[in-house]
Amino acid sequence: MTTQDPNRERLSLLQGTLDLLILRTLLLGPCHGQGVARSIQRQSEEVFAVDHGSLYIALQRLEDRRWIRARWGVSENNRKARFYSLTPKGREQLTEKTTEWQRLTRAMGLILDSGKRPIAEEA
Amino acid sequence: MFRKRSEKDFADEIQAHLDMEADDLRQEGLSPDEARWKARRQFGNVRAAQESFYSKGRWIGLDNIRRDLRFGLRGLRQSPGFALTAILTLALGVGANAAVFSVINAVLLRSLPVADPSRLVYLRTSNPPRGTGTIDWNDTFSYPVYDALHRQHGALSEVIAYVPLSGGKVAVRIGAEPEEAEGDMVSGAFFSGLGIELARGRGFTAQDEANHAPLAVISYSYWTSRFSRNPDVLGTTLYVNGVALTIVGVAPQGFEGLEAGHSTDFWIPLQSRAELNAWGNPPENGRTYIANPTWWCLRLIGRLASGATKAQALGQLQSTFQRAAYVGLGSPMEGEKPPILSLIDAKGFPGYDQQYGKPLQVLMGMVGFVLLIALTNVVMLLMARNATRQREFSLRMAIGARRGDLLRQLLTESLLLVALGGAVAWAFAEIATRTLARWAQIESSLAPDRTVLFFALSLLGLAALLFGLAPLRVALSAGPALALKISGVTANTDARKSRAGRVIVALQMTLCVVLLVGAGLLLQTLRNLENTPLGMRVDGLVVFGVKPDIKSVPEGVAFYRQLMDKLRILPGVESVTIMEERLGSWWSDNNDMRVDGRIPQPANGAPATVRSNVAGPDFFHTLGVPVLEGRDFSDADTASSPHAGIINQEFARRFLPNQSPLGHTIGTDDGRYTMTIVGVVRDHKYRSIDEAPIPMAWYMYAQIPVIGGMQVELRAHGDPLAILPGARKALQQLDPNLPLIQPITQRAQFETTISSQLLFARLAEFFGLLAVVLVATGLYGTLAYRVTQRTAEIGVRMAVGAHRTQVVWMILADSLFLTACGVITGIPLAMLVGRGLTSSLYGVKPLDALSYLLAVIGVAIVALVASAIPAARAASIDPLRALRTE
Repeated sequence: MTTQDPNRERLSLLQGTLDLLILRTLLLGPCHGQGVARSIQRQSEEVFAVDHGSLYIALQRLEDRRWIRARWGVSENNRKARFYSLTPKGREQLTEKTTEWQRLTRAMGLILDSGKRPIAEEA
Repeated sequence: MFRKRSEKDFADEIQAHLDMEADDLRQEGLSPDEARWKARRQFGNVRAAQESFYSKGRWIGLDNIRRDLRFGLRGLRQSPGFALTAILTLALGVGANAAVFSVINAVLLRSLPVADPSRLVYLRTSNPPRGTGTIDWNDTFSYPVYDALHRQHGALSEVIAYVPLSGGKVAVRIGAEPEEAEGDMVSGAFFSGLGIELARGRGFTAQDEANHAPLAVISYSYWTSRFSRNPDVLGTTLYVNGVALTIVGVAPQGFEGLEAGHSTDFWIPLQSRAELNAWGNPPENGRTYIANPTWWCLRLIGRLASGATKAQALGQLQSTFQRAAYVGLGSPMEGEKPPILSLIDAKGFPGYDQQYGKPLQVLMGMVGFVLLIALTNVVMLLMARNATRQREFSLRMAIGARRGDLLRQLLTESLLLVALGGAVAWAFAEIATRTLARWAQIESSLAPDRTVLFFALSLLGLAALLFGLAPLRVALSAGPALALKISGVTANTDARKSRAGRVIVALQMTLCVVLLVGAGLLLQTLRNLENTPLGMRVDGLVVFGVKPDIKSVPEGVAFYRQLMDKLRILPGVESVTIMEERLGSWWSDNNDMRVDGRIPQPANGAPATVRSNVAGPDFFHTLGVPVLEGRDFSDADTASSPHAGIINQEFARRFLPNQSPLGHTIGTDDGRYTMTIVGVVRDHKYRSIDEAPIPMAWYMYAQIPVIGGMQVELRAHGDPLAILPGARKALQQLDPNLPLIQPITQRAQFETTISSQLLFARLAEFFGLLAVVLVATGLYGTLAYRVTQRTAEIGVRMAVGAHRTQVVWMILADSLFLTACGVITGIPLAMLVGRGLTSSLYGVKPLDALSYLLAVIGVAIVALVASAIPAARAASIDPLRALRTE
């Protein structure tokens, strides 16, 4: 039986970040839901816990917005799976959201790191 | 939103996910079972994801409502007895209220269906000047008064006159056959001034009035019933009393004219010819209403100018009115009170408020009580039903229903009941108003209109609110734990809850007592009226009106002589007579009379008014009124023989006491006509069933200087109505234009004079019965419910030695106690209601002991009957079984 590592706390995703992560994952090519979940978990070095239920709702939401499209296909180990891929609109959104996110994290970083440097230097 | 993806597709995707995840985990070295289990655990709540997929993009509220409705309907279907009782109870309660309210609405509240009805006012006078003849003391005016007021165009921008062509129906002819219809003569501004847009054609103008133009406008319902809505009706000739009139317009749908309680068929401009005199009267000394300033016979309605008040209008018109009132009369007599003009809002049926107003309000109160009983009954039913379902609710909460879900479902169920009950109630009200109109002999439509609909919806809203609150407590008190802990039998033994039920039952008993007392008083009134001796043999009599076209008095006398001769020889006819005023129609002539040359001054200030009639030969013989002294009129009394008069006992008692009245001379108050008393007859009813004895006198028709339309009275062997076809043929041999006007048996004619009492008595009877049934079901329900609740307690009592009789007594004593409470509070309330009914009672006092006694016995019987079954059930409880249910 596997036990949870008590030192490695998983973070729950911020509202809106899941959409961005999904789009980013699909940039690499079409993928099914389970693959998206695994990929996010792995690439974040197991920091993010993806609630699978929410993931599928999010996928549906993105599909409804026509940022991604879906099609039933066959997975690598021969199982029927629903494959998602980016639409041009989705690509645009990804660029936009990524920029937005980077500006946000930079601003957050500036504020949170400001204590380490004398303020006078900035000015 | 259009959804492309099905729920199944989504579920498939999740299943695929679980399978793939399990595959991956197996590759990482887990056993298949473990892999499947872990994949599932990692996923989290599959159902929640599916539900959130399901509810995305839907209007959740609507979906829930649909589901609740389906669930509610299923719930009601599962207990059809409950559903039926609740729906019917509600329907009867609300329907009865809607019906009575629509009568009140039509009679007392409704405005005329015209433009801006709030500015219409009826004109009233405090009294007519002395020396005038009137139709009604307060609301009829002379032509000069109309003419003077009509010429003023101040605060009252229009004054409109209208007057019927007959007290009932008038003879008309469209095709070959004579018919009868109701018609009014109206001034030129009638349609334009009232603000009526005609459905077809045109209305009248001032020019039409001035020229007495031979035109007619017919009502929409007459157009429908007589002309089948033929669009070519305009231009058709309508003969009224033989006068040709051209139909030029059709009034709009819903406008039934201004005659209270009647539906006018046609209107014509004010006429001046003798055939079309107001009220169908023969011209007085050759003068019709226009030329006769002392006959106050026209009704007036006015329209206030915008911004003007009634006070302003009166200020402008009062002096003009008082001047015009004395046209043709000379100056007012010494000390005479001048007539005073007043204006009242044109609402409801004018004049009906005296006869119907108070009783209708009392009746509304009574049906209000019925509604209260009905509503509390349904609330009790709902509470009892929900209480027994408490376990079901607890179970549902235990498997995940939220409190809000439960409450919403219960509310939906209540709303369903209200909606279904409301629909049935509306149908019931429609039927009931039609029946009420027939009982009250009101021709105009009483059908529920928008006001009534609003009223009914408010009642239903109230019901919905009450029924919604009833389940609230249950929904709040049910907890998931309850289901698992406590047995159904003891789950509901809550002293407070049953106390509320007891208070409600006692309250219902109170209302039941009040309703039964009211019903008792009104029923006794009706019985008294129906058993009132009329003083004649009324069975076998039939009466109809005849209005021949007569040019002179001798011609008229000859016409009636011929008619009676023809009728007498008809098979089945025993005897025939004629009279001017129809018996039992509320019509009568009332004047002072000279006795031996002077107006008598009766002892102790009794009025000197004599109610007179004009009668034909064999009058009292035909009616079956005993002649006590002297003789009846006969064919031997002619224009050339000495004038003969007949009086009744009351006349003799008041004006000629302690002597034989025979041979004394009596006559009109102006002394122009005198006659010798040749007979004294027994007191009998003339105008109505409930009139008190009054001095009466009869003129012989062949001897007086006027003659007009007459009422023919026939006494027949067997069915009196069977005579009518023969009579019609006989009449039309004399004049093919003449119909039989309003033929009816004399008994039915007399009964029209107690129509309002008949209406109230029947309604009270119905509501009393309804209340009894409702209270009985309510009490039965409550008691049965309580017995079920106390099964365990009763079991214990019997196990420790209580006798069955003691158990039965315990249940009975309970309901008798409630009855006693109800009676004690009900009697004072009933006394109040009795006082409100005083004006519609006859021969019975508001504090009639018998009615009260019967009401108390009635509720006691209801209580005992309703308790008998629960009590018997309580007594048959097997103590062992009852204890084991714990």
